[in-house]
Amino acid sequence: MMRRSLYVSCFPAGLKSLPLPLLRHGTSTAMADKEKRRPGVTPPGMSESKATKLDSDREFLSQAGVGELLRGAILKMVEARSDDPIGFLADHFCNLASESETGTAGCGDGDQLNNSPLSAGAQEQQHLNRALWHLRLAHHSQRSAFSNNVRVAYDLLNLTGPLRQPGEVPEGPDGSCTDSPTTEGGGGGGVKGGLYTQTLQCLCSEGGVPAATSAPLLQRLHCQDHEAVPYDVFRHGVLTCAVFSDYIRQAQRLYAEVCCPDEGPASRALCLAVLGTLKEALETSQGCDTNCCVNANTKANSCLEVNVNAIRYLEASAKISPYKLAQAMSGAQTRGPGGNMDAKEFENAAAELFITRVKVVS
Amino acid sequence: MITAGYICLAVDRVTVSTQTMISVLVYLSDAVTQLLEHKEEYTQFGVIRYFAEYFSSVKNSNHVLFREYNYIRATPHNRASFIRVFWRCYRQIGKSGDLLSMLEYRSLLQLLCPDFPVEVVQSTTRIVLMEDAIDCLMSFSDFLFAFQLQFYYQEFLDSVLVIYQDLLAGKSPNTVIVPTSTSIEQLPSVVAEENDKDGQQQDGVESSTLAQCIDALCDRFKHSHPSRSCMKEILHETDKVCYYSFLMNLAKHETINQTIGALPSKDELLIDPEMDQELDKLIAQISVSPSSNSSGSAVGGLKEVQRKASPRRNIHHRRKVESDGSTEETDSSEN
Repeated sequence: MMRRSLYVSCFPAGLKSLPLPLLRHGTSTAMADKEKRRPGVTPPGMSESKATKLDSDREFLSQAGVGELLRGAILKMVEARSDDPIGFLADHFCNLASESETGTAGCGDGDQLNNSPLSAGAQEQQHLNRALWHLRLAHHSQRSAFSNNVRVAYDLLNLTGPLRQPGEVPEGPDGSCTDSPTTEGGGGGGVKGGLYTQTLQCLCSEGGVPAATSAPLLQRLHCQDHEAVPYDVFRHGVLTCAVFSDYIRQAQRLYAEVCCPDEGPASRALCLAVLGTLKEALETSQGCDTNCCVNANTKANSCLEVNVNAIRYLEASAKISPYKLAQAMSGAQTRGPGGNMDAKEFENAAAELFITRVKVVS
Repeated sequence: MITAGYICLAVDRVTVSTQTMISVLVYLSDAVTQLLEHKEEYTQFGVIRYFAEYFSSVKNSNHVLFREYNYIRATPHNRASFIRVFWRCYRQIGKSGDLLSMLEYRSLLQLLCPDFPVEVVQSTTRIVLMEDAIDCLMSFSDFLFAFQLQFYYQEFLDSVLVIYQDLLAGKSPNTVIVPTSTSIEQLPSVVAEENDKDGQQQDGVESSTLAQCIDALCDRFKHSHPSRSCMKEILHETDKVCYYSFLMNLAKHETINQTIGALPSKDELLIDPEMDQELDKLIAQISVSPSSNSSGSAVGGLKEVQRKASPRRNIHHRRKVESDGSTEETDSSEN
């Protein structure tokens, strides 16, 4: 009965810009219409009490901050472009709830929490989980959303002292933060190396990359446990792992395409041809000095450089086009080494092509 | 209103379907309505926790139990969830092989949704019994699959019925559908044929004509419809088709069942060892009390109903969880 009118009052803050009388008029007409259809209801008295109820409902919602809460959730949902918005909202609210529940607990006995080493560890784990949750929100191809999330994750992991509570972490969509320098004063002066490494490990394993495959990459991105990792390094590491996970999934799919499932492993000649094409494309895209994913993501390029890069990417994608691939494969079918290559070996070879192009973090 | 704005933005930017976004809107507004209706109860645990529970129950399809009809049919997800709940609650009937009448199925549905309208049950019954002998008894699986089709694709089937009746009456269905050029050319001949066989109207209509009309209907249908290829496949099988036999074939079509995704395939409909165990436990408990065997299974079904959490229930559940400080044991302690 109240549904429609309540729906209008769902988002009180958002309606501030509308003249209130107009709004009231709209909803009460709708209600009156409905009431007419109900026998035995006296419209005038009812609509008055309804109007009072509407007011109290509106007050309740604004007091409870429901409008803000929902607006934040919807913005996150839009930003993340999830395929499953309901699942996303469920996770989002669960995450917020656990954050606010543990957040208040942390406020209550903050001193105890931070004094005992055990609970400090637990807190660190909690921060790590939350940071990972934020990193999962948006795919790395959605650049500004991803950058925002990396920033939020970095700030979360950077929380070490009791001075900053999770509630203070800037979470709103404050535009792309890629160029803003880290506010190192408030936090611990950088994410701990150990936490950074753990984050990267989790990202790779969540991305479906076997530990053995990601190990050489993590070796390159590794920071010492005691080091304070600056934001740029953190972002580079996270992005590289995200791209790497995608790349390995693609490589796995590529192998599945090359091999016929009924006939066992794919022929070595075919796999080598495919890997060769892949390598050539990667080399084309890489340019002379920087590695490919950093190249794709630092925004400090001059206009000319951007153009050159764009041309290189086009060339590279032409090199890995189905036509080129088919050409290489048909060539390999007639000549080339005999024998087979299994999925693992192919994956490792493909991973190596990628990893050699990742610069070593000092 | 602001939500609508964001949602439009989302539709614009995201490849998620409009239908999904409309669903999000339905859930957001329902969540707020529920919150307002049970303010005192829900706010004890915090508004954020309430929304978390609400959307988790939507995600887990536990949200439609005991809700009003308008809600359970509001989104495709709700419909599928309700079909699944219906199956899970009354699976035992199928297992015992009982045949029930339309009114009995209606009562079962009303246990889950108090204002479930009889019209939907009637339409379902017509699919199962091919329109005649509507007071015959039906097996659970026949009813279930027909119900799934009827409930999930309601609006579409209604439109098809209008087209069908127009075709049957020799009227051009142009008023209902946007005709393609070919259908205009063909229709008069069809109509003439139909008029010739006045006495044999029960045979139905020309399958190919119906297929064309349905195809055009799909083009402009904003609600969901069964996959075109399935419908074509069924209509290609015979020259003439009548509405309810067409629907029966659709109801039995495994692809359509998979698309809706609420039920397992017909062969696996009654297999669920985990629930069997639970039911056995419940029945064992009940058989201690002096109730007859047949009511035992019905109560078992109901218990099952109550175990599934609606958003409201979730909060109660939560309270219990928090009061004894455990999270996992609650389920077993309930049994």
